[in-house]
Amino acid sequence: MLEAFIYSAIIALIAGVVLPLLCRSKNARKASFGLSFLSSILLLAFAGIILYTGKEPAFPAIGFLPGLDFTLAADKLSAGFILLIAAVTSGVSIYSVEYVEHAKSEARKDLQAALTNLFILAMLMVVLAGNMVGFLVFWEVMSLSSLMLVLHDYTSEENKKAGLFYFIMTSLSTAFLFMGFISLFRLTGSAEFGPLDYPASDLTLSFLCLFTGFGIKAGLVPFHKWLPYAHPAAPSSISALMSGVMLKVAIYGFLRFLLSVSTPELWWGTLILIAGTLSAVLGVIYAVKESDIKRLLAYSSIENIGIIFTGIGLYLIFKLEGVESLALLSLAGACFHAFNHALFKSLLFLGAGSVVHATGTRNIEAFGGLVKRMPQTAALFLIGSVSIAGLPPTSGFVSEMMLFQAYFYSSELPDPLIKVLLIITLSVFALTSALAAALFVKLFGITFLALPRTKCAQGATEVPKPMLFGEAVPAAFCILSGLFSSRILALLGFDLGIPDMLLLGLILVGACGLVWIMVRNSGPSKTRISKETWGCGILAQHPTMEYTSTGFSEPLVVIFKKIYRTEISSTRTYSDTKGSIFKNGTARIHLIKFFEERLYIPVAYAVSLISSQVSRMQNGKLDTYVLYVFIAVLTLMTFTRYFA
Amino acid sequence: MNASFLLFALLNTGFILLVSPLFMSLIKKVKASAQGRKGPGLLQNYLDLRKLMQKEVVYSPNSSGIMRITPYLNLAVLLLASLFVPIVFIPDTHAGIGNIIVFLYLLAIERFFTALCGLDAGSTFGGMGSSRLMSLSAVIEPTMVIAFAALAYVLRTVNLHEMFAITAGSTIPESPTLTLISISLFIIIIVETGRIPVDNPATHLELTMMNEAMILEQSGKNLALIELAHAVKQTILMAVLINILAPWGLATEITFASLSVSCLYFLVKASLLAGLIGLFESSIAKMRLFRLPSFYMMAFFFSALTILLEVFA
Repeated sequence: MLEAFIYSAIIALIAGVVLPLLCRSKNARKASFGLSFLSSILLLAFAGIILYTGKEPAFPAIGFLPGLDFTLAADKLSAGFILLIAAVTSGVSIYSVEYVEHAKSEARKDLQAALTNLFILAMLMVVLAGNMVGFLVFWEVMSLSSLMLVLHDYTSEENKKAGLFYFIMTSLSTAFLFMGFISLFRLTGSAEFGPLDYPASDLTLSFLCLFTGFGIKAGLVPFHKWLPYAHPAAPSSISALMSGVMLKVAIYGFLRFLLSVSTPELWWGTLILIAGTLSAVLGVIYAVKESDIKRLLAYSSIENIGIIFTGIGLYLIFKLEGVESLALLSLAGACFHAFNHALFKSLLFLGAGSVVHATGTRNIEAFGGLVKRMPQTAALFLIGSVSIAGLPPTSGFVSEMMLFQAYFYSSELPDPLIKVLLIITLSVFALTSALAAALFVKLFGITFLALPRTKCAQGATEVPKPMLFGEAVPAAFCILSGLFSSRILALLGFDLGIPDMLLLGLILVGACGLVWIMVRNSGPSKTRISKETWGCGILAQHPTMEYTSTGFSEPLVVIFKKIYRTEISSTRTYSDTKGSIFKNGTARIHLIKFFEERLYIPVAYAVSLISSQVSRMQNGKLDTYVLYVFIAVLTLMTFTRYFA
Repeated sequence: MNASFLLFALLNTGFILLVSPLFMSLIKKVKASAQGRKGPGLLQNYLDLRKLMQKEVVYSPNSSGIMRITPYLNLAVLLLASLFVPIVFIPDTHAGIGNIIVFLYLLAIERFFTALCGLDAGSTFGGMGSSRLMSLSAVIEPTMVIAFAALAYVLRTVNLHEMFAITAGSTIPESPTLTLISISLFIIIIVETGRIPVDNPATHLELTMMNEAMILEQSGKNLALIELAHAVKQTILMAVLINILAPWGLATEITFASLSVSCLYFLVKASLLAGLIGLFESSIAKMRLFRLPSFYMMAFFFSALTILLEVFA
């Protein structure tokens, strides 16, 4: 019964891939997204049943290679992430029905529909994979299908660069995963994700490789640079899937490994916590300065991934220090934040897609006044912004609160040095969440409020119904999973004693009603619309006088100027020898892309230097190559003789 | 939701609503005396609010629903937050009411929507106010969190009601380290209520204003709601400091005598604190915007010091 859900979901998704490629019509595309919507419903039911009953389905193994079977498996962890995939997919598939029609040509529309389904299928299969083989195979399918979607507009120079960057980073991630899995395979002799009862010193290499591999895919600092390139290049529905789901698949893989290790070490937790905290704060600080709406959201994803890793790090630390209740609270917080981020970030990316579609630009400075022109989109976007800024009673707040609570109770820890580390990371974490609020006031305020700044924004109109419905689904999830958070978590077996948001929400609504009645009964309730905004006696308000996105973030840029790393260089020449009469000169302010210029480019340069040396060995003569093979075999034999 | 909690909600929130404007006037009065002026009467704020309540609301044509719902939402959020800070008596704790993190983020809701309001009408002043408020609040947030974490560290709970219940019995602060936190809490009150040296609530000069800039477009009833919400916020933040540092007289059971005593005690203590805030404001000059983070660092330092003292005690 349970298996039937998953099989029909997979078949529906496969049909969704094939249909638009075979039939190539608008109706086929609609049917294809209908199929992905259907599969999301099936998956919701499947994951819901597993999470609620704890029953695990049994899948038969399929012979793949001798000694390597291909198996499917689902437990509570995978069910949680399937729930996440299904929740995002349901919104995205409704949205895409209309959105995909804006692609440039018929072929691209068909391809985008097929690839979207393939991408969803691949992510689902990664989570369902019962062993490392299946995991890696579908991991590659996931990476390549998303790469093709990033390159959907392959003629644009910017997208080509984004695609290349994404390709390199994702290959690097796979390479690290391979190394990690191979070292695990050497240790255990099997490709299953079984429990790992080995001392931590044996697992160090696997841990480092898997942490790097999954960290690259999840967008952890300093491997985050592909996100701000790839997300703006991809269509918005795909950005929603990539940011909402694909990054979480990496989190899933990492958790799958980490939870199976029986004796991790404290420095693992510390490393994860510090990497998470750094990603969170740097992600949001970079986002504050950004004026490209999709790039801003991409940086904000880096921040949220950082928050999730913070939770995982806290889990390990508390677990190793023997405080089980706090370990559970942080792990549940990390998983719940992964779920919430999937919802509000896909909502925001879909909303951004609508705005970009309506105005034709991604530049926030060109928006303004859209709340009058696209009221429904604005309302949905506001829900997403409130949720991501972590305001109660939405779900975004609940998961952050769980992590805060774990931090606040850390006085129970025995180790003073760990306590000091936690105080430092707590203050950075608080900074992150406050900056996120500032960021989304800026994004919502500059995009939707005040007067339109350009003609593009002036002429914007509300998007078609399916796109609005597609956004409404995650928006509803954001609010409901926030209000019922303590009940849902209790239902899943996490009795964490967190505040009841439903009660708070009800009191808040009641208080609003009370205030309204109070105001209504005191004096006349007259309102009037004035001619214009008061502006100290100016004759007519002009959009150019409004605050801009850059202006809004200026104080923060000044406060954090050490992090933005600007380089000011000037040259000057003088007409006289004493240097007093100025002749001419140049001055340049350059914003250093720190990780790109100080980390990636030197590494890339070194790699290209080595490879150019290696390429000199290639002379095209067969006898030389035979010699190389001979030397290689000889070296290998010597090594195996002495070291193995 | 039992009867005692309902009684608490009515009494506590009602009392806070009633006395909040008084402390606003009191601070103004103290400032005026310090400057050698007579100053407005203590009831002036109530009269102002009543006057504003009678007036019509004028909206800018550029403004949207944000401008219309924010005043209601702000006051509602602060009424909700007032349930988190017992002043008249301490009820049995109830489903997360009193959780200090929720309290912190209820204040964040008010800030978020006020800042959006500032951007709504498209006036340059509003945008400037929002930008400054959000930037500075991002910098003060770690301080607030660390101060509250320090409270949680010392008192071993994250619930304000339980914290007050612990401190209520004692005549001196529960732990000597709590005196350090009170410095941070004092600075937090100054920052959160927009007082000198952070913001100047008395001017309409574009260079100094923050909170005033964002509500420039508000009028009539809406302005009254926003002013009232601001006053309530100040009162509950003051109450946190008072109940931690000087918790004498806070009632733990419900009798008419103990309730009136605790109300009276709070009035006296809060008036003293309001006087102190007024004196502090009169004795210091408005700081430059970018000097403020260092002012906050002082508060941060004291909270962090408290935690460190607890850790290595």
